Amino acid sequence: MEYKVEAHRIMSISLGKIYNSRVQRGGIKLHKNLLVSLVLRSARQVYLSDYYGGVCFSAQQVESKEWELMDAEQNKLRPAAEEGPAPQKDAGLGDATPVADEPTSQPQADGESPAGAQQPPAEADAETGGTSPAGPAEDQTGGGGRALPDEAGTPGAHSCPTRKRGAEKSHHACSPQKRTKVTPTPDSSGAAEEPEEMETGNVSNLITIFGSSFSGLLSKDDTPPASEGEDGDSGSGQICCDQMLKNLNPWTTAIVAF
Amino acid sequence: AMAGVGGGNDFQWCFSQVKGAIDEDVAEADIISTVEFNYSGDLLATGDKGGRVVIFQREQESKNRPLSRGEYNVYSTFQSHEPEFDYLKSLEIEEKINKIRWLPQQNAAHFLLSTNDKTIKLWKISERDKRAEGYNLKDEDGRLRDPFRITSLRVPVLMPMDLMVEASPRRIFANAHTYHINSISVNSDHETYLSADDLRINLWHLEITDRSFNIVDIKPANMEELTEVITAAECHPHQCNVFVYSSSKGTIRLCDMRAAALCDRHSKFFEEPEDPSSRSFFSEIISSISDVKFSHSGRYMMTRDYLSVKVWDLNMENRPVETYQVHEYLRSKLCSLYENDCIFDKFECCWNGSDSAIMTGSYNNFFRMFDRNTRRDITLEASRENSKPRAILKPRKVCTGGKRKKDEISVDSLDFNKKILHTAWHPKENVIAVAATNNLYIFQDKIN
Repeated sequence: MEYKVEAHRIMSISLGKIYNSRVQRGGIKLHKNLLVSLVLRSARQVYLSDYYGGVCFSAQQVESKEWELMDAEQNKLRPAAEEGPAPQKDAGLGDATPVADEPTSQPQADGESPAGAQQPPAEADAETGGTSPAGPAEDQTGGGGRALPDEAGTPGAHSCPTRKRGAEKSHHACSPQKRTKVTPTPDSSGAAEEPEEMETGNVSNLITIFGSSFSGLLSKDDTPPASEGEDGDSGSGQICCDQMLKNLNPWTTAIVAF
Repeated sequence: AMAGVGGGNDFQWCFSQVKGAIDEDVAEADIISTVEFNYSGDLLATGDKGGRVVIFQREQESKNRPLSRGEYNVYSTFQSHEPEFDYLKSLEIEEKINKIRWLPQQNAAHFLLSTNDKTIKLWKISERDKRAEGYNLKDEDGRLRDPFRITSLRVPVLMPMDLMVEASPRRIFANAHTYHINSISVNSDHETYLSADDLRINLWHLEITDRSFNIVDIKPANMEELTEVITAAECHPHQCNVFVYSSSKGTIRLCDMRAAALCDRHSKFFEEPEDPSSRSFFSEIISSISDVKFSHSGRYMMTRDYLSVKVWDLNMENRPVETYQVHEYLRSKLCSLYENDCIFDKFECCWNGSDSAIMTGSYNNFFRMFDRNTRRDITLEASRENSKPRAILKPRKVCTGGKRKKDEISVDSLDFNKKILHTAWHPKENVIAVAATNNLYIFQDKIN
């Protein structure tokens, strides 16, 4: 699942850029941040596309597990910009089973084609000679209640399903067992609200990771990536979280199907 | 006839001059951020990140020195913009000069507009080569004379003096842009000009600084719905009611100011359908247009995105009439270029005087020229190694795969810190100015 590793890496890099843009001279550049957020959104889309592989877990379970993992990895976090070049050609990814790659069951409120999301990472990975994941012929409806396939065939291929862990580097730390527990998948039959809740949790985790920085990003001036300075109190972490959440959602609808 | 592109026996580019420090350690303030010839080509202006403007003037060709054909020498240097601090928003405003645009010359003085992120200034550059002497009330040092000692009246006389070039700010157009200004463009009526930031375009009158008309506003009511920004704008060279603006989504809108006061509805919409097979995480970024320029004829316009230059016929909206690949070999490197921020570099492009050729920059101090008639293209390099006077520039080639031939350079050896973002072509002759970081190179065609 090289594309997922790549997607995760790109997400980390993108978040780092957004974070760094706050301290750049001349103020936040709207154009660049918009472009970065588009990349972030695309990468996140791809990265999440496998999460809703059919298993349904309660939000609470997932949340607590994520906090656990996050604490464990807190000290590994460094600004994404300091990451070196991504490891190219991770071993063992070539035989990612198409079944495992099934991205289709992600219930998107906007009805995007998740299978399409498979394509671009393959393109983006041209330099890595990445394997192309399962093609567009995948089943689009998703398997409700399908257990996460046994990932034993792809050792170390998956990063932890701790989505958007900022700049975490440990892609291969999770055992398959842990991973299945943590995967926050809503009912794949299409409850559109649940994925959004997951995102809230992750976004607030992110905000926490970056401390108060995101609040500055969204409130300091009127050129944040996607929200107005006057949209509420500045400096409140909760508001940023909400802002970030609101930001992320409309962009998914704006995306052209991959 | 004005040829543009080398290759073959008909035309070759030669080194003429280079301006700027040789020092390897480049001060950020010295990085050139804009280059522009004036309408006659006699003046060449550069702006830098330190907020300074340097104007070069072409020497008249003289019989005494036939080989120094029209060299450009420093004419005037002044500090156009200073760093500012917006206390309300706790934001520093960079002094970097984003754009310089000359006004057509109407008298002995020269006028240009220079802008940073927030403020546009109209500068008057004038020569003084005479000085009045023989004042009644003050003596030659300027000290006031004792009025009781003045016993006779005289008329001051104009005496020649060493040429002095003075630059003075005549207008300051401020506080009209919330977002960062990316373009200014003088209208063909010579009375108005437009300025564009990420979300809005304003129309100014050159004489009026306390207000401007907002003619385009793409800011959504809810900023969370923002999907695209304005990246460049330009007035039509002949039709004073027409202008275009490009977007981060790779589209261009042509607007007619006669249609409505607010030109949110375009008259024409130029967009090329995307090739789905080339989609990637970075498709959106590389389709963002970094520059748009009308041809001198006004019939075409050219856009620059990250990997290509496209020429559009204003009468055809659904696709460009010509597409030129600038550095297609970078397509497989987009992820790395995203990491090191190079993918956000905003390359400019320019036409030659006859619209037969176009030029744009690349990395490794390479710049590219495309001849629209012969379809030939050439890659040249701006480097100190090729800086012997009148040295002919050798075409360069990037090896994209397979065995690297002698004199070719491999993609991985390219220096991405050496980027040529700004180039300018003399309006009438084959003289080009290429900004390479803190150096300005001037090349011209071979003198036979």
